[in-house]
Amino acid sequence: MGRGYIVEDAVEGYLSKLCEQQPGPVTGLLIGQSSTQRDFVIMATRTPQREESMAAAGSSVDKEWVTEHARQVSRMLPGGLSVLGVFIITDTDAKDTLTTLRQLVFAVENLISLEHLWVPADDDVTDCVTLHVNPKTRKTICRTFDVKDPKSMAKPADWKYQSGVCSSWSMMSCCLNVDMLVPLPTRAGPENMDTSLNEGLKVWAHHIQSGACLIDGKKLPEDTELTGGQKRNVRQTYTAQLLVTPDDLRSPDVVQQCGGSVSVRGVIHSRAYIHSNKPKARLAEKLLKRDVVSTVATRVQMLLEELQVSEEESNGSRKHKQQTEQFCLPRRIFCPVKVSGPVCVCDYQFSDEGQSEVTERLKEMLDIDAAEEDLDTRQETPSEIIKEDVAAEPTVETHEALEPKRNNYVGVAMATAAALLATAASMLYLNDV
Amino acid sequence: MVVSDSQCSDTWTILRVRGPLELKCQLDSTDVPLMHKVISRTFGTLQSLVKSEACVLTVCDSPVIIWPNRGVHATPDEITPNTLCEDLQQWIQTDEQESTGKRSARKKSKKSSSVFTFVIQSIINLRLMMEATTTGPLPPPILTRTIKKSHFFSTTLPMDCVIRTNCNDTIKDACERLVEALSHQLCEMEKVILQHMKGMTLLVPEPLHFLLPEPKGLVTVVYPAGVPDSQLETQRRDLHQRFELLDDWPYFRRANAYHFPNEPYRDGYLRNPHLVLTHPTLDNGKVYLVQGIYSYHHYMQDHMDDNGWGCAYRSLQTICSWFEQQGYTERHVPTHKEIQQALVDVGDKQKSFVGSRQWIGSIEVQAVLNQLLEVTSKIMFVSQGSELASKGRELANHFLTEGTPVMIGGGVLAHTILGVAWSETTGQIRYLILDPHYTGAEDLQVITDKGWCGWKGPDFWDQTAYYNLCLPQRPKTI
Repeated sequence: MGRGYIVEDAVEGYLSKLCEQQPGPVTGLLIGQSSTQRDFVIMATRTPQREESMAAAGSSVDKEWVTEHARQVSRMLPGGLSVLGVFIITDTDAKDTLTTLRQLVFAVENLISLEHLWVPADDDVTDCVTLHVNPKTRKTICRTFDVKDPKSMAKPADWKYQSGVCSSWSMMSCCLNVDMLVPLPTRAGPENMDTSLNEGLKVWAHHIQSGACLIDGKKLPEDTELTGGQKRNVRQTYTAQLLVTPDDLRSPDVVQQCGGSVSVRGVIHSRAYIHSNKPKARLAEKLLKRDVVSTVATRVQMLLEELQVSEEESNGSRKHKQQTEQFCLPRRIFCPVKVSGPVCVCDYQFSDEGQSEVTERLKEMLDIDAAEEDLDTRQETPSEIIKEDVAAEPTVETHEALEPKRNNYVGVAMATAAALLATAASMLYLNDV
Repeated sequence: MVVSDSQCSDTWTILRVRGPLELKCQLDSTDVPLMHKVISRTFGTLQSLVKSEACVLTVCDSPVIIWPNRGVHATPDEITPNTLCEDLQQWIQTDEQESTGKRSARKKSKKSSSVFTFVIQSIINLRLMMEATTTGPLPPPILTRTIKKSHFFSTTLPMDCVIRTNCNDTIKDACERLVEALSHQLCEMEKVILQHMKGMTLLVPEPLHFLLPEPKGLVTVVYPAGVPDSQLETQRRDLHQRFELLDDWPYFRRANAYHFPNEPYRDGYLRNPHLVLTHPTLDNGKVYLVQGIYSYHHYMQDHMDDNGWGCAYRSLQTICSWFEQQGYTERHVPTHKEIQQALVDVGDKQKSFVGSRQWIGSIEVQAVLNQLLEVTSKIMFVSQGSELASKGRELANHFLTEGTPVMIGGGVLAHTILGVAWSETTGQIRYLILDPHYTGAEDLQVITDKGWCGWKGPDFWDQTAYYNLCLPQRPKTI
């Protein structure tokens, strides 16, 4: 009675290639979409090499690295796509491997869900998949674990290859206006922008989640089946509109002291891919809203990480004399998973980066060989700072448009981020059964 | 401070739009004119928002969504700018169980001399929302960080606008007026905030609707939340002047805010059950009714078993509820114990009276109204029940000038009189009785079908017993 995974043919080829490549265990992530009836895996990506070879290559599995990779990959997946599980290619004993896989899958899921600003829905699938491939025999063992249950035992699952799994998936998209203003606490300096912003993002995410969603201009009943995707290779796209309203509740503290404020204003492009197996309007709405929330949260998070790095590097020598500063959030760029398929992954490009950095990251994180021409840069135009708005603020003495210098070596950035997360990650393992 | 709608028609559809609008700004100076400027500028942004294409009105309990500033575009497709407002009703999914509510809405009350005859034929509730999606492609968002010790002003404005449309109005007309009303309300709210700003204390503006005598209809006033009625007398006086109203009825006290038919009362008591009744027609007769709103108090309510002895207490509670709901007092309806304590306090009863099940009469009712609410009452005495038939004129006058419910005690029973139907020429008379002896649940259908609230003839009274009536006098204040 286990779950059934329908897997893209290309994944089989990819895993085979990895079997031949190197000795020692190869880990990686499985990416796709889960639904109550069936699960679809549309791509796989190996864990990238770590720059500083802290673990001797091939000897053991670097769990922290796998989970950090998953966190980075998760940010590059538009709505409807998520990390469904972990694979490992090793000739180690099946039982030991299963234990390793179990630890990995729980750690990955826990880390990724930390970044989610939305409330999990009752109909969310909480099973994650683990795949053990024996490089010599090419035998695969597929098991699932319920990551909501710490005592969950492995359940057998079907793993079946098929061609064109996502060829008739549909896509729902929109451009959404973000307009957030949050106060900064009185006591602290700029470093407390993180907490305030996260609080503000949570409130904003709640508004988005409780908003009304129109599909192609109509409010559809939740259980309406979305047509389209019935014919193979006919791409169905839907345009969504989101109507929001703030909460009616009012806090009694109308005026509070603050140390300043932070605003995030502008437009983002959001999209979600929906499987073609009789999907309902409710699913499309849920996936799109989650993408709206995560694309804004991800970009804010990335900007904060960049600012932290650049502030550490400058050693606080640039004291914050300027009262008002503006920063551009990175721009979203899409890249198709397969040249012919409708499904795309995405990346975020800061204004001081070129397209080569984007293709490098796609290769490093998702093992996708993309050429610059393959990139879809039309959904969001390049960032710009609008000087007029800043000049209109009466309180601004000087302003400076800061463009954080992004490290081109992803490995180093990842190491920094991983170092920050090391504590978090190790705590996850302490709690592991 | 006020928007009035002076259209007059036999059948109206009320459109009411409500929705919160976030007001947030950083006040980085304590200099008052600068603060005013920032707040005004923030209001300016909200004004543009309400007039922008992002402004959306959704019809509650229906799939209808209207963009008033986008050529009155609407979904579903069948709705066009020329659709009549009253036709929106067909799209609204009504709750089956609200049959009593629907019934009362359909029954038209006959014209009476009471100035408060008002039956809403239909009300359509709309929700104000904003469309967050827009057309792209556009550049990604910008994060702006301002560091300065200052103050942050953040609140939600509870927008609440009402317009009245007649049978010929299309939604295009309605949308224009609704957007205008929202814009005007924002203006009023800005004034209230700036007017009541003291240092760093800012008050939230609160719109309330008041029902004025025809043809003025529903009028909206924005009051500052938290400021009690007692401090707003000048504003009320201004309003009375503006609307040419006499100073003898507190039209603009908060407690008198109009209560829309579809809104339930939080306390669970029925209000004005007499409104669903068909009033008797007598030759050359007129109907004189209680004015305003009261709640129905009867045996066994509030987990108090007063079956057999509490009828006068319940009648008194009904009267107290009238004074509370018209805003003459902020005191809640007293419990049996509080009533008894009041009588001890005035020296009318011994201490042992409190907690007992002793009856009270009209004199005690008069004393309690005076003690707890500072309301004076007249006492009318009839030596036998048959004489009540000749009291038509007095009772009619009472309902005309005072409009308060009347407590009548005699024989072994107490009742509340809510009105009379009386013919000056024939002398025929009927009494609208609210019976406190009912022991059941707050079921409007049962109460009216079984006559617990109903019209009675002169034979309702014990023809030989003597009766005392307590006629509470309305304070002449605003």
